[in-house]
Amino acid sequence: MSLVLRNLQRVIPLRRVPLRQRMEAVRSILGVQKFDLGIICVDNKSIQHINKIYRQKNIPTDVLSFPFHENLKAGEIPQPDFPDDYNLGDIFLGVEYIFQQCKENEDYYDILTVTATHGLCHLLGFTHSTEATWQQMYQKEKQVLEELGRRTGARLHPLSRNLF
Amino acid sequence: MLPLLRCVPRALGSAVVGLRPLLQPALRPCTRPFGLLSVRAGSERRPSLLRPRGPCACGCGCGGLHTEGDKAFVEFLNDEIKEEKKIQKHKSLPKMSGGWNLEVNGTEAKLVRNVAGEKITVTFNINNSIPPTFDGEEESSQGQKVEEQEPELTSTPNFVVEVIKNGGKRALVLDCHYPEDEVAQEEEGESDIFSIREVSFQSTGESEWKDTNYTLNTDSLDWALYDHLMDFLADRGVDNTFADELVELSTALEHQEYITFLEDLKGFVKSQ
Repeated sequence: MSLVLRNLQRVIPLRRVPLRQRMEAVRSILGVQKFDLGIICVDNKSIQHINKIYRQKNIPTDVLSFPFHENLKAGEIPQPDFPDDYNLGDIFLGVEYIFQQCKENEDYYDILTVTATHGLCHLLGFTHSTEATWQQMYQKEKQVLEELGRRTGARLHPLSRNLF
Repeated sequence: MLPLLRCVPRALGSAVVGLRPLLQPALRPCTRPFGLLSVRAGSERRPSLLRPRGPCACGCGCGGLHTEGDKAFVEFLNDEIKEEKKIQKHKSLPKMSGGWNLEVNGTEAKLVRNVAGEKITVTFNINNSIPPTFDGEEESSQGQKVEEQEPELTSTPNFVVEVIKNGGKRALVLDCHYPEDEVAQEEEGESDIFSIREVSFQSTGESEWKDTNYTLNTDSLDWALYDHLMDFLADRGVDNTFADELVELSTALEHQEYITFLEDLKGFVKSQ
C-alpha cells in the first residue's frame, strides 16, 4: 500500500524523495508497509489552525496525528476486515515549525523523519500521557530510529526523549 | 420632431407608439433596430441593398445601425472599464522570481529559463482559467451584500513545463494542474498546490502535439515516481512558490486581457 506525501506550504522548500526514502524505511521497520499512510506538510499557520480546532491549543506545533484506527493498544497492528481499511491515517507535519527548531548541526530531513516517526507511533496507539505509556513509546521510537540509523548511518534520537 | 422624440426614454417611447392610430405611420426615435421588420411600404427612405443607406436617424450622421441599445451598451462598457481599471492590482505584469523571461502572445504566456545547458519553458493560456464559483444561490439571497463581498477572481490555468537538455531534439513535457476543487482547497483540503497530470516526450522540431507518443498518466502512478517528478520540477524552479507566482501573473494577465477585450467591444459597438 502507499505512502502519500503532500506539500501544502511554500515557506520551506521541501524535497519529497529524501523524506519518502526515510519514511519508507520506518514503515518497513515497524512492519506496516501494507497500510496506507498520508504525510501532509504544512506551515505554522495551518498547523496552528488544526491544533486549535482539534486540541484547543492556538499555537503552532511540530506534528499532529489522525489515526484511522482509534483505540489501538500501544504497538498493536490493526487487523482490518476490508482492503479499504488498510490505512493508518494521516500525519500533519509542521515543517516550518520543525525547520525553526532544527539546530545547525542537524540534518533537516533526519529531524523531519524523527518527528514523523513519533507521529506514526501515535497512529499505532502509543501515547505519552503517563510515564508508563511514555516509556513504551520512547522505547519503540528508540528501537525504530536505531534500526534506521544502522541502515542510513544517521544518529537519531526519539522526539519523546525528554518528556518525563 | 425627431430630435424631440429621441429624448423620450425607450419604455415611454414604445408606449407612445402603441397609442397611435393603426393607419398612421409610426415615428421612431431611431432607424430599424430590427432591419426589415420596420420597413414601411411606400416609405421614401426604404433601404435597398443596391442603394447606400441614409444617415443614422440618431443624428450622428454615420449612416450605420445605431440603436438605443448600442448606446446603453457603450455606456455600460464605459462604467465597467472604469470599475475594472479601479480594481486592477497590477498596471504592468508582475515579475516572476528565479530569472524567468516572459513572452506574451495574446492570451498565451511563456516563461523561459536556461539553467546549466537546460532550457525550461512553462506555457499557459489564460482563456477559461478562472474556476467557477459555486455559491451563487447564497449570494443572490444576500441582496445588497453581494457587491461588497464579491470574491476576487483568481486565474489558475493548467501549465505545461517543457525541459530540453543541451539543445536536444526532444523535450520532456509535464502537464501540470491546480486543484479543481478550490473550495476544498481553501478549507482543510489536502491537495498539493499543483499536481502533475501527464508526462510525455515530444519532438522539439514539431509544433504539433503527437498523441502517438507514450503519455504517462499520474492517476495510477507509483507515488515514489511521482515524488521524483515533483523534485525534478522543483530543482528546475517549478515549485510551490513558482506556482503561487504563476497564479499572480496569470490573474494579472487575465484581468489585463479582459479590460482590453471590453475596450475592443466598446470600440466595435460604437464603430460603423
